[in-house]
Amino acid sequence: MSPSFHRLLLAPLFGLCLSAGAAPLDEPLKPLPAVPQQNPLRIELGRQLFNETRLSVNNSLSCASCHRLENGGADNKAFSLGFNGVPVTINTPSVFNASLNFRQFWNGRADTLETQIHGVVQSPSEMGSNWEHVVQMLTADAAYQTSFANAYPDGVTMNNVQNALATYERTLISANSRFDQYLQGDTDILTLDEKYGYQRFKDYGCIACHQGVNIGGNMFQKFGVMGDYFKTRGNPTEADLGRYLVTKDEEDRNVFKVPSLRNVAVTAPYFHDGSAKTLEEAVDVMFKFQLGRIPSADDKTLIIKFLKTLTGEWGGKPL
Amino acid sequence: MKTSNRRNLALLGVVALMLASVLLFLYLKSSSNQTITYAESRDLIGRIKQLNAQWETEILKARIAISHNYDPLVSPLTEITDLWERFDTMESSHGRNDSPVWRTSHDAYLSAIQEKTRLVEQFKSHNAVLRNSLAFLPTAEDDIQEQLARLADEDKLQLQNIATDTYDLLLSSLEFAQVTSDDKAADILLGLNKMGVNKQRLPEQFHSPIDILNNHISLILREQPVVNRLLENIEAVPVAERLDDMTNLLNTDQQRTDAANQRYHFYMLVFSVLLVLLLVYLAIHLMRSFTVINRVNKALQTANEDLELRVEERTRELKDTQSELLDTARQAGMAEIATNVLHNVGNVLNSVNISADLVSRKLRGSKALGLGKAMQLINDHQGDLGTFLTEDPKGKLLPGYLNQLVDAIALEQQGMTDELAQLTKSVDHIKDIVATQQSYAGANSLMEPLHISELLEDALRMNSGALTRHHVTVVKEYGDVPQVMGDKHRLLLILINLISNAKYAMSDLTNRPRQMTLGVKIVEDKILQVSVKDDGEGIAEENMTRIFSHGFTTRKEGHGFGLHSCALAAIEMNGHLTAHSDGPGKGALFTLQIPLKTVKEEA
Repeated sequence: MSPSFHRLLLAPLFGLCLSAGAAPLDEPLKPLPAVPQQNPLRIELGRQLFNETRLSVNNSLSCASCHRLENGGADNKAFSLGFNGVPVTINTPSVFNASLNFRQFWNGRADTLETQIHGVVQSPSEMGSNWEHVVQMLTADAAYQTSFANAYPDGVTMNNVQNALATYERTLISANSRFDQYLQGDTDILTLDEKYGYQRFKDYGCIACHQGVNIGGNMFQKFGVMGDYFKTRGNPTEADLGRYLVTKDEEDRNVFKVPSLRNVAVTAPYFHDGSAKTLEEAVDVMFKFQLGRIPSADDKTLIIKFLKTLTGEWGGKPL
Repeated sequence: MKTSNRRNLALLGVVALMLASVLLFLYLKSSSNQTITYAESRDLIGRIKQLNAQWETEILKARIAISHNYDPLVSPLTEITDLWERFDTMESSHGRNDSPVWRTSHDAYLSAIQEKTRLVEQFKSHNAVLRNSLAFLPTAEDDIQEQLARLADEDKLQLQNIATDTYDLLLSSLEFAQVTSDDKAADILLGLNKMGVNKQRLPEQFHSPIDILNNHISLILREQPVVNRLLENIEAVPVAERLDDMTNLLNTDQQRTDAANQRYHFYMLVFSVLLVLLLVYLAIHLMRSFTVINRVNKALQTANEDLELRVEERTRELKDTQSELLDTARQAGMAEIATNVLHNVGNVLNSVNISADLVSRKLRGSKALGLGKAMQLINDHQGDLGTFLTEDPKGKLLPGYLNQLVDAIALEQQGMTDELAQLTKSVDHIKDIVATQQSYAGANSLMEPLHISELLEDALRMNSGALTRHHVTVVKEYGDVPQVMGDKHRLLLILINLISNAKYAMSDLTNRPRQMTLGVKIVEDKILQVSVKDDGEGIAEENMTRIFSHGFTTRKEGHGFGLHSCALAAIEMNGHLTAHSDGPGKGALFTLQIPLKTVKEEA
């Protein structure tokens, strides 16, 4: 092991000794912020809508059908099934902490949660509905009409439906992960291996893309920096084009939003194509095609141990 | 007069309305809310500029790898977007987008920020991998050098060369990262080729680390110019300039607005001055009017005072006239009473005359003359009286005659005594009438104990002659009234008048007996009520209210003073006199009510 590596290893250990108190650590990764203060009527309305199957054209799917809160905010399929039972073309990302992503969707085509909701409801492969229909349906329902009238001055409108859902989604923060507690100063909460794992995570350069408050979710990156992932995988699909579909810029071919690593241990399968079934596979792919390095088996284990500390809580229970 | 007033009022209203609307117009024009928007817009643009600068700082920090956290490269844009939305909403709500210059500037900013966002996103991606590879280079080189050091059996010189080549390549790459030039790029390419050659000379175990190193250096060679170009482009995106353009537009607009505001301010000032002048003019006018009003008021007051004086004078004259009239009336009343009295006295004098006549006739034909003849016979026969009385036929009759004479004289005396008593009574009556008249003549109020029934009798007596003459039957309904304190003269005046009036009222009555009813009673223990009722001609409705007024009379010879003075007298006694009639021909009832003052029983 190189001396510089030892030095790097020692630095956080010194930091550990120095910050025996609960002072927050200054790291490239940041703990989750508090849930913002919002109108409770709108949150509750959003919660109902989130679980409302009538948002899909044939009453088969609600948001919660694919974004299962008890399942890390996503489902366990590579491709979720649309309203018509046909699988969609891209993996379902977790709804947890989605509000902290700088863009929505894998290719970042939505700037806001509202736009994301707008897209999913109308998508012919997802909910297959249209807003006119949704607004009509909600207006016909007396309970919804009352709830909307209470929460919004102008009652049931497309914008209000989207706002209610987005408002609810902003409350879906998987706080209190062990790693966040560590960042907040409780340095004893991680085992030594997990701390080493974090160190490896930084040293190998995972942190180049997975950093910030959401440990990812704040930039686009080409999938296959150090090698052609898609050639190796085979069966290129349209979805593999990534951001190119949005900008039609050759620069953006195979470029995706860097996903958040929060709750990564409970959101398998991985990547936009759901190709990696386990964390190990995913980490291997990342090393090969993104970092262009070959980690030792120990380091990989340590990194995976670290990744498991990123699992937060929802409803008072770990995800 | 009225229509012109109304017209004036309408005109005044229209003028006031016009002035008010001009003022309002000028006020609105001079204080448009654009100024508030302007300050807020300037503030928003300022903040966007600040965030833009902050964004650029964060980009540079990421460029020199101070920060590994890319969140700061996201948040400024989010905030800029929010601020811009606020700004845009505010400005478009003020119709700013109607102006094509503004529209152009607006769109130019949007495309600039869009371009910058795109470039920053690319910068983030490229910079991340570039920084990662650069950071990794020393480690990658270490991995090779370490293995080289462990390789003992090879040619030392060749190993040294390979080590140097590797080191040089690392160095050129790091230099390239600092100074990106084509020369350095050529150096790196050369180094990479050397490494490719070296790789062939080294054992299998070196292939992988060398490939990794080569890959990363190729990446640096590829990405560094991209990152540099992106940074240049980012710097070249004129976001700040576009914001300045908008600020300039805002400034120009604001200056124009300010100028307009100032103009309207000036107009308002001029208008205000005009208004003030108008007010001053009106004030002066008002003051003048006030003076005139004061003068007229004073004149009016003087006239009023004069008038009052004259009224007073007239009133005094009237009073004098009235008191004169009163005196006249009183005298007339007294004359009437005197007539009454004289009439009554005359009546009584008649009986006195008759009595005196009777007495003197009786005296002339008195039987006492016979006594003288008898005494002459006796004197003629003085010597032979006895004989004469017994013998003479004439003398024999004399004692009988004397006896008869005694009886006759006694009878005569009796008659004369009676007649004289009657005479005395009549004289007393005259005395009474005169005394009554005398007591009436006194005007002063004198309270004395009296029996009201006696007073009524007196009044009747004073009218008795006339009553008898007119065949009036008097019915007396006297209640049980104690002795009271009262003003005898006033009461008597009233009673005489009422009785006299009743008598007159019935003078034309032929079809039924003339009957007058006098009543006395006490009402509610505190009022003495005396009433005189007749069944004569009655009082017409229309006269009812004025029978007590001075000068009113229905009689040809009347002077309209009687009832008036009676009413006055009643009031002077704290009482009142009222009249009632069921109508003409149905009689009348006069009622006098005075406070009852009984005489305290003497202990």
